[in-house]
Amino acid sequence: MKLIKKQIPLAIVFITGVFTLVSYYVPNKTSIDYIETMNKWQNIVVAFAFLLGLVSLFFSHYHKIARKADGWGYSIFVFVGFLTIVISAYVSGGRQMTDAGLTPLGWSFKYIYNALSGTMFAVLAFYIVSTAYRSFRIKSLQAFVLFVAAFILILGKVPLGQIIWDLALGWTGAGVDQVIEWIMQVPAVAGKRGIMIGISIGAIVTSLKIIFGIEKQYMGKD
Amino acid sequence: MLKEQLQKFSRIDRRWIFLLLAITLLVPIIKPIGLPNKTIAEATSRVYGNIEKLPAGSFVLFSLDYDPSTRPELHPMATALVRHAFSRNLRVGVVTYIAGSTGLIEELFARVSKEYNKSDGKDYVILPYMPNILAVMTQMSSDLYGIYTKDRNGIDVRGMPVMKGVKNYKDMSLIVCVTGTAILDYWVAFVGDKYSVPVAGGVTAISQPGYGPYLQTNQLKGLIGGMKGAAEYESLIKQPGKGTSGIDALNLAHLLVLALILTSNIILLIIKYL
Amino acid sequence: MSETWIIIGGWLAAGLTIFLFSFLYKDNPFFKIAEHLYLGAGMGWLFQVSVTNVWIPKIWEPVSKGELLVIIPSIMGLSLLTQFIPKISWISRYGFTFMMGYGSGLAIPAGLSTDFMSQIEGTIKPFSLLASMSPFAIFNSALIAFGAICVLFYFFFSVEHKGHLKKVSNVGIYFLMIYFGAAFGNTVMARFSLLYGRFDDLYTFSGAKYLYATQFILTGMVIYFLVYALFAGRSKNAIKA
Repeated sequence: MKLIKKQIPLAIVFITGVFTLVSYYVPNKTSIDYIETMNKWQNIVVAFAFLLGLVSLFFSHYHKIARKADGWGYSIFVFVGFLTIVISAYVSGGRQMTDAGLTPLGWSFKYIYNALSGTMFAVLAFYIVSTAYRSFRIKSLQAFVLFVAAFILILGKVPLGQIIWDLALGWTGAGVDQVIEWIMQVPAVAGKRGIMIGISIGAIVTSLKIIFGIEKQYMGKD
Repeated sequence: MLKEQLQKFSRIDRRWIFLLLAITLLVPIIKPIGLPNKTIAEATSRVYGNIEKLPAGSFVLFSLDYDPSTRPELHPMATALVRHAFSRNLRVGVVTYIAGSTGLIEELFARVSKEYNKSDGKDYVILPYMPNILAVMTQMSSDLYGIYTKDRNGIDVRGMPVMKGVKNYKDMSLIVCVTGTAILDYWVAFVGDKYSVPVAGGVTAISQPGYGPYLQTNQLKGLIGGMKGAAEYESLIKQPGKGTSGIDALNLAHLLVLALILTSNIILLIIKYL
Repeated sequence: MSETWIIIGGWLAAGLTIFLFSFLYKDNPFFKIAEHLYLGAGMGWLFQVSVTNVWIPKIWEPVSKGELLVIIPSIMGLSLLTQFIPKISWISRYGFTFMMGYGSGLAIPAGLSTDFMSQIEGTIKPFSLLASMSPFAIFNSALIAFGAICVLFYFFFSVEHKGHLKKVSNVGIYFLMIYFGAAFGNTVMARFSLLYGRFDDLYTFSGAKYLYATQFILTGMVIYFLVYALFAGRSKNAIKA
């Protein structure tokens, strides 16, 4: 049983990992044939991954309704939303637009999904403002440096801010857009590059650990 | 007394701040201030220059990977880019790896193709959503038809005039990825660097600073960042759109946030030394 | 789409937008309904796109034409679902390992070349062109190199940070702070842009074409909160009495 439960999966990760890695450096007919088959297959496997999210969403809301848990009535709307989109897709044959204009699917995208998804994230704007007021504390030199960089970017990205900069600091001869360009092209590049190199080393090591079966947390417990 | 009042003020119900932001942003939408974007970042000009120098008929691949959650920033950008490509009579191919972007792509091309009298299949092709970006990117290096046999409406792509002579990255002049995700990083790492295809991008303002290193090394041929980037590109192609009006509306809100940070810190200083 | 459907759409979009925003004032049933609809609609969208763009053309059609090989990756994909049944959850390992092996195999060379080698090259290369560079450009290149090295020292955990190493890694923090500051400044702009997008749509739906959807729904919400506050106040008084 251990063979089927553990060793074969570990062999799969090792073989696919090594073959894929080798195919990158050795481009010949066999390696191209191998990678082409893998590409097509991997594309299909991943097309099922979202079902994990779907099943767990449906399970939790179905249970809420079945147990009549607090606020179970709202859970019905999860299914209403899902069915609205799926039925309109079925009616429209998966097409969003025809020569006659929007199909029911295109309509649901434009007026339902677009409004919901857009607003969900737009709400964050309010929180960033209240956080800026309540929690942005300049208590150390490091925080001050962060503040100065943020201040210049927030100010200089809009025309009104550029006008204010020119009025106050125009005598320096440096426009705020030039200062922003310098921040983005020099110190920010240095900061990000350090992070980037660090992360890349970590990612390479993790990938090697996965291929060689050292890192296997993703497989779950026995 | 003053100290207590200031302390109270610093703990003001945050809903007042919400209301202040709503007003600051809504008023310029109803009555524009009339201060559109004037400066253009170098990275944005580089994207423009890279499209501008392509001869008519070149094939440009657009990877449009954003959904309604980042629409206000990225849709104007993508619209301006497609307008530019159409005005230069380039052939346009569109791929996507974000399910939510399919509706936005449909809307964009229905609108812009009419402006330039371009037709589906002849001048542009919209390929269907695919779930595994790495698999598709790797496949397109040898034969894109291994994955993309049909367009998003189920029509065979091989016979389309827009795809004539296009089989893999060697036949593409430029790849432009507009996204609020890490998909642009993938284009740089798995395609641009490996197959020497020029890759340019358009991203949200949040991720913009992270691409500095790629721009410096020229791994990325140019970058449009956020609403300001969209406004910059609109002014480069001389077609103001939602990016231009967006920047105008953001003027006051930006100053509001600076005023709030300064006010709260000044209050704290006064409380501390009073 | 007829004119009526466009108006209905406008009312629906304006309504859902305002319901979600209403949470900023207070949690309420309208927000909860919109929130749950979002979860369902988002999943529904992903589902329909996957079915029409992948499952039908990439699995169903080939199988019905007799190309049976695609069944193998489909079974591997479906194996992921055994995660939900503890007794047989080990089956999902076949799907996961298949994806992880391929992903790791691709990530190693790409990471090595793009984020490691190219970045080191990009830091050093300007110094080979010193003769053609302005003093300011030389200063900038030196600053990038210096900053990147300091940041790397900051992330270097194998040795205890003390003495000179501590000083260098402290300088690294300042470069990180500038990067984070720039990122914060840009985040503010990004968030405001998203809000602008929704407000712009609400403004569109406030027009006569949409029969003033925004105004009506907004007024409705205000009345709801007023009435709710009134009743909540009364029931409180009743309890007190």
